[in-house]
Amino acid sequence: MATQSNNPVVSLTDVFKTYKVGEVDVPAVKGVTFNIPRRRFSVIVGPSGSGKTTLLNLIGCIDRPTGGRVVVAGQDLATLTDDATSDFRAQRVGLIFQNFSLIPVFSAYENIEYPLLLLGVSAPERRRRATKMLEAVGLVDHGTQRPNQLSGGQKQRVAIARALVKDPEFVLADEPTANLDSHTGASIIELMRRMQEQYATTFVFSTHDRQLMSHADETFTIRDGVLVDHVTGATSC
Amino acid sequence: MLMLKIAARNLFRNTRRSVTTLGTITIGAAAVMVFGAYITYIQYGVQTNAVQQTGHLQVFRNGYFAFGTASPGAWGIDHYATVLRLIGDDQILKPLSAVVTPIQSLAGIAGNFENNTSKTFFGVGFVPSERDRMKQWDEYGTEPRGLKHSGLNDNDLSKGLAGMGLVRILGLCDRLHLDSCLPAIQPPSPPSEFAGEDPPPSTNLADLASRDKPEGDAATNVNPTIDLLAATAGGAPNVVSLQVANVEIQPFKELDDNYVGMNIGLAQDLIYGRGEHKATGIVLQLHRTEDLSAARARLLSLFKERGLDLEVRDFTDLNPQYNQIIGLFRSIFSFITLIIGIVVLFTVSNAMSMSVIERTGEIGTTRAMGVRRQGIREQFLVEGSVLGAIGATVGVFVAQLVAFSVNHAGLTWTPPGAGAPVPLRLYTNGVDALVVLTWIGLLVVSAAAALIPANRAARMPVVDALRHV
Repeated sequence: MATQSNNPVVSLTDVFKTYKVGEVDVPAVKGVTFNIPRRRFSVIVGPSGSGKTTLLNLIGCIDRPTGGRVVVAGQDLATLTDDATSDFRAQRVGLIFQNFSLIPVFSAYENIEYPLLLLGVSAPERRRRATKMLEAVGLVDHGTQRPNQLSGGQKQRVAIARALVKDPEFVLADEPTANLDSHTGASIIELMRRMQEQYATTFVFSTHDRQLMSHADETFTIRDGVLVDHVTGATSC
Repeated sequence: MLMLKIAARNLFRNTRRSVTTLGTITIGAAAVMVFGAYITYIQYGVQTNAVQQTGHLQVFRNGYFAFGTASPGAWGIDHYATVLRLIGDDQILKPLSAVVTPIQSLAGIAGNFENNTSKTFFGVGFVPSERDRMKQWDEYGTEPRGLKHSGLNDNDLSKGLAGMGLVRILGLCDRLHLDSCLPAIQPPSPPSEFAGEDPPPSTNLADLASRDKPEGDAATNVNPTIDLLAATAGGAPNVVSLQVANVEIQPFKELDDNYVGMNIGLAQDLIYGRGEHKATGIVLQLHRTEDLSAARARLLSLFKERGLDLEVRDFTDLNPQYNQIIGLFRSIFSFITLIIGIVVLFTVSNAMSMSVIERTGEIGTTRAMGVRRQGIREQFLVEGSVLGAIGATVGVFVAQLVAFSVNHAGLTWTPPGAGAPVPLRLYTNGVDALVVLTWIGLLVVSAAAALIPANRAARMPVVDALRHV
């Protein structure tokens, strides 16, 4: 158990990712190597176009590298089939998106319940966990509302609850405060930090929000697809 | 269940598009079912007509059907009463049979010598009461069509029926007080140099006929009398007189201009004279058409057991237009169904394609959350199927409504094989298979229409789908 807790949750080794845009190869990540420790609040920072989102996609198993090795929760992603990768995501990865990406035909409660449905969790257990999570993010009174009836902050709270409800190995958040005003963004950061501590899970997110960086346990700075800095401990504003 | 819930909710995301798509499916479903109900009505009507006329099965001497109609007297079934009893008393056939009765076909010349007119005729001799019972057959509840009661009596050999055309040609319209019958018109006179060279043959025929004429002046009879000349089984000419008691309009002009129906005893007198009376056929009318195969098999088995050289023909053999009419309508139905299927296919496919484009981001999200490609594919297939199911279900009710309206609108028409107009009916009862098949068919077409968009959605790279705005 101690060994597992010391192992990094994500290990990237000389990872490359190149996109093909028409006839042109566009490198997004160029030989990145780093480890993300467990149960930490880690942040990947860098300017727009630096490769943050690409790195998160690779870590979150929703994209495959063109070179190098990505090991997530002890699993080498290159060995997984497409279906196995989907199952891996369903069981072990929680995702929070910049634009919330809630399912519009579901209520807030149903959005939170959905990952549990994918995992085949029984109805009473789903109800218990989804309700608990709804309470945890302070949206008990909004459970029946659809996403278009919620504010941006409320949507992101639902997204956080949805990511955590299945008790994942780690949660990835791609610029979670980018579409929120500073006050709401601050409350979301506070919530994420609280949830990370409460659930003792690993949070990895990309941002260029200095407020968010100040909460980070680990900060990875990336520029032009290359890791240029790694700081352990909160980054000063 | 989850997929159904998502599918149902997604239907209302773009209400206008969903309503348009559902409308197309509904109209398509209703059109197929209404036309199918109409064809079922046609089929039942034509079948009822055929079975009332010829029964389900007829037994002939082997070869009669192909070769015997030229000389029916030579192809009569010997000791037909024995065969009749054999069929009528059989324990398997008895419960299946509604009527078992003999018939005698014949052909010859019919003459009205008061009017100096004559005409070749096709005749059939029957047992009047049994023929009237055959005319009551109505397994499918179609409306009454044709002459239900001949007005003839089993014991009265003197009376018979004639087609409207024959009555008209023989100049009997006035005598029969038929309003719809045109009065006789004489043909143009031949050129004068030939006039009077060849005396009309009717003179001799009239002499022949006068031997068997009933007592008294024909003009005083209630019914007009015609004379029927035919060759006997031995080849000699024979003549009988027949009072035309009733007119039976035939479905085809050729038949209507030639038809004579009479008591089988008179037909046998004409064909066999004083010799052994035979019958050209034995008619078997069943209670239910679905027993036809079993009855035919039993008949053939009986004949084989008894060493009888008889053949069995069903009503489709005896009424070749039956299969032609049904085939024609079925081909039209297939064509319409195909067109509707294609329209539904493209409409649903278009709606699903639009849905995939609009929901690309959502597809990316669900894939990122762990839904497999197959899950995405199934989701869109379910949505296409739900569209099909709802549209087809509404279509069933619309079809019922249309059928109800048509059935109560008082419309009439003259169907193929019928001699008189009948009420137009759309059969919604007894067409369960059509409703079920249409429903399933549209469901399958809708699901198939969603297949290409569903595959496109399933194949999307997750990252590209998430990036889609």
